[in-house]
Amino acid sequence: MKLVGIVGTNSSESTNRRLLQYMKQHYSEQAEIEICEIDEIPVFNEPEDKTAPQAVQVLSDKIAASDGVIFATPEYDHSIPAVLKNAIEWLSYTTRPLINKPVMIIGASLGALGTSRAQAHLRQILEAPELKALIMPNVEYLLGRALEAFDDDGNMVYKDKAKELDNDFIEFLSFVKLTEKLTANSKFFEISKQFSWKQVANGEDM
Amino acid sequence: MKFIGIVGTNAKKSYNRMLLQFMQKHFANKAEIEILELKDVPMFNESKDQSDSPIIQEFNQKIAASDGVIIATPEHNHSIPAALKSIIEWLSFNLHPLDGKAVMIVGASYNIQGSSRAQLHLRQILDAPGVNASVMPGSEFLLGKAQDAFDDKGNLKAQRTIDFLDSCFAKFMKFSDIIAQMNIPEDITYEPGTFKVTAVGHNGDLPMEVTLSDDRIEKIDIDTSSETQGIADVAFKRIPQQIIDGQTLNVDVVSGASITSRGVVDGVAKAVKMAGANPDILKKRKKSNGPNKQNVVEYQTDVVVVGAGGAGLTAAARTIQQGKKAIVLEKFPAIGGNTVRAGGPMNAADPEWQNKFEEITGERHTLKEISEIDEKTIDAEYLADFKALKKQINEYLKENEDQKAYLFDSKLLHRIQTYLGGKRTDLKGNKIYGQYDLVKELTDHALESVKWLEDIGVKFDKSQVTMPVGALWRRGHKPLGSQGFAFIEALKKYLESNDGQIITDTAAKELIIEDGQVKGIIARSSDGKKIIVHAKAVVLASGGFGANTKMLKKYNTYWSNIDDNIKTTNSPAITGDGIRLGQSAGAELVGMGFSQMMPVSDPETGELFSGLQVPPQNFVMVNQKGKRFVNEYGSRDELTKAAIDNGSLFYLIADDAIKETAYNTSQAQIDKQVEQGTLYRDDTLEGLAKQVGMDPATFVKTINDYNSYVDVGEDPEFHKSAFDLKVEKAPFYATPRKPAVHHTMGGLKIDTDAHVINQDEKIIPGLYAAGEVAGGIHAGNRLGGNSLSDIFTFGRIAANNALKDME
Ligand SMILES: Cc1cc2nc3c(=O)[nH]c(=O)nc-3n(C[C@H](O)[C@H](O)[C@H](O)COP(=O)(O)OP(=O)(O)OC[C@H]3O[C@@H](n4cnc5c(N)ncnc54)[C@H](O)[C@@H]3O)c2cc1C
Ligand SMILES: Cc1cc2nc3c(=O)[nH]c(=O)nc-3n(C[C@H](O)[C@H](O)[C@H](O)COP(=O)(O)O)c2cc1C
Ligand SMILES: Cc1cc2nc3c(=O)[nH]c(=O)nc-3n(C[C@H](O)[C@H](O)[C@H](O)COP(=O)(O)O)c2cc1C
Repeated sequence: MKLVGIVGTNSSESTNRRLLQYMKQHYSEQAEIEICEIDEIPVFNEPEDKTAPQAVQVLSDKIAASDGVIFATPEYDHSIPAVLKNAIEWLSYTTRPLINKPVMIIGASLGALGTSRAQAHLRQILEAPELKALIMPNVEYLLGRALEAFDDDGNMVYKDKAKELDNDFIEFLSFVKLTEKLTANSKFFEISKQFSWKQVANGEDM
Repeated sequence: MKFIGIVGTNAKKSYNRMLLQFMQKHFANKAEIEILELKDVPMFNESKDQSDSPIIQEFNQKIAASDGVIIATPEHNHSIPAALKSIIEWLSFNLHPLDGKAVMIVGASYNIQGSSRAQLHLRQILDAPGVNASVMPGSEFLLGKAQDAFDDKGNLKAQRTIDFLDSCFAKFMKFSDIIAQMNIPEDITYEPGTFKVTAVGHNGDLPMEVTLSDDRIEKIDIDTSSETQGIADVAFKRIPQQIIDGQTLNVDVVSGASITSRGVVDGVAKAVKMAGANPDILKKRKKSNGPNKQNVVEYQTDVVVVGAGGAGLTAAARTIQQGKKAIVLEKFPAIGGNTVRAGGPMNAADPEWQNKFEEITGERHTLKEISEIDEKTIDAEYLADFKALKKQINEYLKENEDQKAYLFDSKLLHRIQTYLGGKRTDLKGNKIYGQYDLVKELTDHALESVKWLEDIGVKFDKSQVTMPVGALWRRGHKPLGSQGFAFIEALKKYLESNDGQIITDTAAKELIIEDGQVKGIIARSSDGKKIIVHAKAVVLASGGFGANTKMLKKYNTYWSNIDDNIKTTNSPAITGDGIRLGQSAGAELVGMGFSQMMPVSDPETGELFSGLQVPPQNFVMVNQKGKRFVNEYGSRDELTKAAIDNGSLFYLIADDAIKETAYNTSQAQIDKQVEQGTLYRDDTLEGLAKQVGMDPATFVKTINDYNSYVDVGEDPEFHKSAFDLKVEKAPFYATPRKPAVHHTMGGLKIDTDAHVINQDEKIIPGLYAAGEVAGGIHAGNRLGGNSLSDIFTFGRIAANNALKDME
């Protein structure tokens, strides 16, 4: 199985990046996880020609070719970082590769409380009509105190959190398989590809 | 008011931009809205800090200087655009200009339900601790179907939409005012000393020593030996630093060392308590904005003014007009004090103008009454003027005996009315009336003040001459635009474009006095900086003490009782600071026992414009027992006295027809207030009585009696002077009312040159006072419209003499 892991920040020091690296290494038997960065993507500004810049196209192609996507997001000001929102806006405005794509949301934070609000926002965002990702339900993986979570060899120190992630990840793998069946002949896909907020407003659609 | 509008997208074409541009235009006479664009804002990156870049600094500084921020957000993918999120992140990282700032959210989108999801997210984001904005609740302005909403001039097409936007914006103006007041740091004073305390750390006790001066936390020493090295170190360094920099206990705990962090905060809180102060005040303060590079800032100027209300700004403007330098210190974030609250015009006799208008019924009668006053009752200083006025009146009456006349006025009439209106006797039998020379100065120069304000840029509405409540005569000069604000706005513009300096968030604390000469002010800014202003003269213009209940109670000799929780129509900044500053230099006080109350104020807020405010002929006032207790047509004083004697809280009763005569409200507001429980409504009189807790039978009898008095046109109980409607048509209303403090007539003793006079009746060199801070003019009762004349006249006089004395 081929998965894409998106680092939800452009920070050079990121515990979310480390969490994805841990997963890539730890679950290498079950899946091939490719870690993608979003820091090179330019600022979204609704260009009239609706074409994806190079960096967006590259990310989009990887997502399209994958079986599922893992978003690892920090929480900035009770929501997801602007830079992650930026990448998502590009994808929704141009190539729309997330439609019907299985998605797992995780988040790491320095404090004890974690990223629950950011994760909730990300869910709502990915459910927007031009994104329509299939987000794995009932799972909210939060890694608090993330700075001290990994030892020098990249292993997770908190045993309970490691176990929880194992369970969640297995769940996600079966979710991916399940959705393959669901979406094989979904008409939804074409509708979502053509979705436009202008049409909604003009009553032409939905 | 000045607001910043942020276009929440960087797209070339944006309906949200159009919406803000429309608001900018549409509200131009209410507030200035400056629109900021996101186009050049870089993507937020924690590892590449660009907080110092010009674009982010522009956002930072303009927001910090504004009275509030309006964010117009589109909805992108069920949330706010990344570009908007990015600037918010920059403004929550190392800079925090939105902290405590009033924010209004609006949004336009294609979709029918507008940008509702984005607005919700934005609320949550703005509520995050690093942002900590004060977002206006409710009033969600969503512009759906934005592509059809504007005409080709960029104006909103639908009147209903405009009406709703108007009401949201009006609410926001009020909201930003209230938020500004909330941001005033409460003062705190400590018993100075070094306090030994023990807090709880991660590994046990954390002994500390905290050194406090009278108004600052100076030093925090911690015995760090028991805590875990490497983990707690950062907390030991950062937390005390933040506490001292910001003079606050509202600090971010250090992640990974939160227990140690909280221990340090608790320790300091204990010390503060030991020093006799309330640590909660420090916990409510703003977070530190990073190290305070300059803890002491010094200025040099010619005239330093305390208070940016009408009197203060006038003194500063007059100083600058004469080529000298002026600095105004203002305690609040927003300028204007009580002056922006003033709803009426300013009094000045201007016969040339007034004579162009016809007299109205009753005015001739008033003049006759004045001319018939027994001269024996006129105090000696005023007698010559009174005789001269009598002559003027008699000539006028004779000249117009058989014809409709023009509106009469003269400086003498203004003077005598100010004198008669202010004449009162207090509970101890002390008689008071306006000091002749000051009243003469005021009435002789009020018209010059109108002319001077016109030069500064205030535009007056010459088409009508009005009389504010309690003014006794039609001589009101009404500015165009919203009243009090129009004066302040013009003065502010004048100062800004002529190098005048207004320093807000800075409260004057002490006078600098050298060899008996006042030489400047020491002030403290809300972020803890000490501000020293050296000057050749100090003008005290800090207003009265209507918002200082303790002080009112201490001096009161006029009211039988002032409740501890009495409300006020005043700005909360009006706490008598200038009077205390004057006293520190030996100033004499006059007339301090006399204050004016507004009898029909909201019991919870002191506001005048809640409930049903109807013309006095339709007032029906009942006490908490359901009985009438006063001639409702009486003066403010009489109503207030009677209310206080009846336990302060009383009710204005109205029926459906009287409701229609209310001039302050709308059906929507009425319904809302009924729902909120601040106004009572019932289909029967009995039901209404039950709702407010009166005996129904007593109340019904009261109303039936009242109605019968209206029928015969006479009130044998209280002799109400004028009637109009009966209380008979359901539904019935009860508006709870309570007297609130409105004006303080007493204050610093001044002479006609606005010098502050000391207890030996000598001038205090270098010290001047103008406006409500000074006493002597209005004595026992200020006429409506006379205060504005006072502040603009004596504000100018103070500056003129400060400069003259310098030569
Ligand atoms: C609701 C209301 C309606 C009114 N309507 C009328 C009317 O229609 N006509 C009329 O003539 N009068 C009216 N008045 C009265 C009139 O508005 C005031 O008496 C007048 O504005 C006082 O002006 P001022 O310049 O002396 O003080 P203010 O305008 O009150 O200004 C004083 C300023 O000093 C600041 N200050 C206080 N302490 C300090 C300190 N320690 N350091 C620095 N700054 C300080 C305050 O924050 C404030 O900004 C009304 C008053 C109220 C409250
Ligand atoms: C601008 C900004 C805002 C933040 N807001 C929050 C927040 O609201 N809640 C929270 O738990 N952490 C917040 N944080 C802290 C991040 O969650 C923390 O840095 C996290 O560990 C980031 O993940 P990373 O290590 O992968 O960068 C904020 C950080 C920044 C820079
Ligand atoms: C990337 C993108 C995502 C959008 N997502 C939403 C959405 O979730 N909900 C919505 O009501 N409109 C959405 N829209 C449509 C916007 O509401 C519409 O473009 C609107 O005009 C934006 O305001 P503006 O004109 O100020 O840019 C989206 C538009 C873009 C470009």
